Amino acid sequence: MFSSYHEHPTNIQFEGQDEDEKITLLLRSHPITNLSWILWALFLMFLPVFLPAVIFALGFGNPFDLPSAYYSGFLVINYLLTTVIIFEGFLYWYFNVYIVTNKRVIDITFTSLLLKNVDLAPLENIEEANSSITGFLGTIFNFGNVAIQTAGANIAIHMIKIPNPVKVADFILDRTKNNAS
Amino acid sequence: MLAELIAPIIKLGILIILVIYSIFALLIVKQVDNMSKTLRTPISPLVRAISIIHAGVAVGLIVLMFGALND
Repeated sequence: MFSSYHEHPTNIQFEGQDEDEKITLLLRSHPITNLSWILWALFLMFLPVFLPAVIFALGFGNPFDLPSAYYSGFLVINYLLTTVIIFEGFLYWYFNVYIVTNKRVIDITFTSLLLKNVDLAPLENIEEANSSITGFLGTIFNFGNVAIQTAGANIAIHMIKIPNPVKVADFILDRTKNNAS
Repeated sequence: MLAELIAPIIKLGILIILVIYSIFALLIVKQVDNMSKTLRTPISPLVRAISIIHAGVAVGLIVLMFGALND
């Protein structure tokens, strides 16, 4: 359910899916790419624990002298921010997907709160799929990018930080019409 | 004296942040709705429920903090 590499997933449908269209591969960014927002969330979660001590140590007085309602207000705002970082981080990771079906490759990207971008590339138009693994984390956890090129166009779909990029590029090329025939 | 001057500003600041957060939480409900329609998965209803509860809590906290800060 939370896999970032899922072959032939069941119980998953996407908007615009044809009746005879089957999902053969569902991809998300590698889970380790969530580390940045997880670290921010942890920092904010523990901020109220160490911030008063830091303020006191720096000689700005005791922050607990504030009326308790004000202190509660700051705590509420802090934990609301933590909640939204966790929730939004999860949403962007979970719903930004790359789908390979028996007909096409689809890139569904939500770039901001209300902005959705969907790129489609029919399998018969795909000419090239190039994979690359870069960086320290990419090498250790085996994730990277796959660039899919279609006939007469620049890169049509760019899969970013997906697991097993070499395997994915091969998976897609194996299903293109040119290679199948 | 200074504390009496600053106190209402802090109160207003906290309430304004909570109001902005609530608007943001309502936008997240719309965003999750949009996401769930685009990709239907077994956890889509759960995510949608969490977004609605989250927005409800955000709105409720405005009332709660308004009462707490005026005590």
